[in-house]
Amino acid sequence: MQVIVSSALEQGLIYCFMVLGVFLTFRVLDFPDLTVDGSLPLGAAVTGALIVGGHSPLLATTAGVGAGLCAGLVTGCLHLLLKSGESDSTNYGPKLLAGILTMTALYTVNLRIMGRSNIPLLGVDTIFEKLGKLLSLTMIGWNVVLAVGALAIVVKYFLDWLLHTEFGLTLLATGDNEQMIRAMGTNTNFTRIVGLSLANGLVALSGSLVAQQQGFADVGMGIGTIVAGLASVIMGEVIFGLRSVSWVLFSVIGGSIVYRLLIAVSLRLGIAPTDLKLLTAALVVVALSIPTVRRKVVRS
Amino acid sequence: MSSPATLEVRELRKVFFPGTANEVVALNGIDLEVPAGQFVSIIGSNGSGKSTLLNAVAGTFPVSAGRIVLGGSDVTKQAEHVRSRMIGRVFQDPRAGTAPSMTIEENLSISLLRSQRSGLRRGVTNRRRQVMRVQLSRLGMGLEDRLKAGVNKLSGGQRQAMSLLMATIAEPSLLLLDEHTAALDPKVAATIMELTAAIVIERGLTTLMVTHNMELALRFGDRLIMMHAGRVVLDLDEQQKSTLKVGDLIEKFHEVAGEAFAVDRMLLE
Repeated sequence: MQVIVSSALEQGLIYCFMVLGVFLTFRVLDFPDLTVDGSLPLGAAVTGALIVGGHSPLLATTAGVGAGLCAGLVTGCLHLLLKSGESDSTNYGPKLLAGILTMTALYTVNLRIMGRSNIPLLGVDTIFEKLGKLLSLTMIGWNVVLAVGALAIVVKYFLDWLLHTEFGLTLLATGDNEQMIRAMGTNTNFTRIVGLSLANGLVALSGSLVAQQQGFADVGMGIGTIVAGLASVIMGEVIFGLRSVSWVLFSVIGGSIVYRLLIAVSLRLGIAPTDLKLLTAALVVVALSIPTVRRKVVRS
Repeated sequence: MSSPATLEVRELRKVFFPGTANEVVALNGIDLEVPAGQFVSIIGSNGSGKSTLLNAVAGTFPVSAGRIVLGGSDVTKQAEHVRSRMIGRVFQDPRAGTAPSMTIEENLSISLLRSQRSGLRRGVTNRRRQVMRVQLSRLGMGLEDRLKAGVNKLSGGQRQAMSLLMATIAEPSLLLLDEHTAALDPKVAATIMELTAAIVIERGLTTLMVTHNMELALRFGDRLIMMHAGRVVLDLDEQQKSTLKVGDLIEKFHEVAGEAFAVDRMLLE
């Protein structure tokens, strides 16, 4: 049981950066960004290729995040090109298409970066081993949880600070009422691109850490990222609540952990790993349709 | 912070869907000069181009021809968000002027930042809270004690009062009101209109107010403009309009426009 909890915590924390990224796009920017299915393996691919190439894991991780930032930038620019002149913030077509295009293009980019579909990272120094050597600890189990947990807290407080700055307010307002914030002199094309870039940088950070923790980067590891991220965001919001921006960032991290715990328990109960994506999709459908169903029931 | 500015509109034209079967000439050569501090009411039937004029001045879309000069500088080609630093706007829908899931203090902080570039300093500061408390207390709605409340908890009237405050708090060079009381119930609409007049007069704001309501147009403002088919067909100064009644206005319209007037559209509320 303890193993399940610690490995779920580990997974939940490693993936929480991705979930924070999905939260930024879906909730803060009101931009359902599908880039994440490509930017997660992008982070892994860049980090994997650099580590295997003999570079330091810290540099490799940073470069992975940088690549994610660029992926978000591309999606933001594509959205600018695809949306027709007059801005209609409820028009999700161009937003979805921009993400799909980047995600698809990234499949090729990721294969090119890796040179093959899978890079094993066994027997090379990852950021976890480096940190272990530095602290003279074996980086397994709870030690990984603590290390990644500390990084999660740093990132959480960074986002908390950012969203409370002047720029952060315009970022929040871009997703909440674009017409208003434009009338207040904010270039929403700029805020949206910065938000998308930041979000995908976070997703790539998760990808980079996943690769280093599981010991390989794989071109297919991003499939279903968006759905897992959304499931985590929704569960976090439902279980821990939305009181304030600071609070909801914690909720979302909590959602990531609960989601991975649920996955671990499902596997323990004998559900095949290949069936998990269907279950996750079903979970999101149920969670998203509860308000609609409830309204219908109340009306009838 | 900027001061009220002169607005000059020269031979302004806006054609929607040019070259298609749906082509509409929304603005057909508008010439208008509004001195700094003047409060202009604009009336006209549906499709007369009054809202299009406001949106053209605000920069919501590029115009087909003509010039817009604000405070001496040509803003015709300036992007909407750049112009917005000088222009305050209140829309018809009370939901349009505020960010619903953000708090009152976050919304007002955004409006206080309008004329400057937003940076990485803290958004809601105690100094800004002080300014907003003073301004909110003037609304007489008790909002100054609810700074941390979500805007989605407010009524339509309260939200429109906030929109008005947000549009004017950073001293815009120009204020654009697009039927901003039309979606409110009559009592609330009257309150918002009194508030508007008080703020506009006190600050001496250059203001364009579009309305369907002829009585409002006659009662408020220093000048009355009537539009029809994308043109200004009647332009009355304060003295001329002070003697007019709603009935006279309808008659005037018949004279100038020379066609049946959509009285039903302009009926008093």
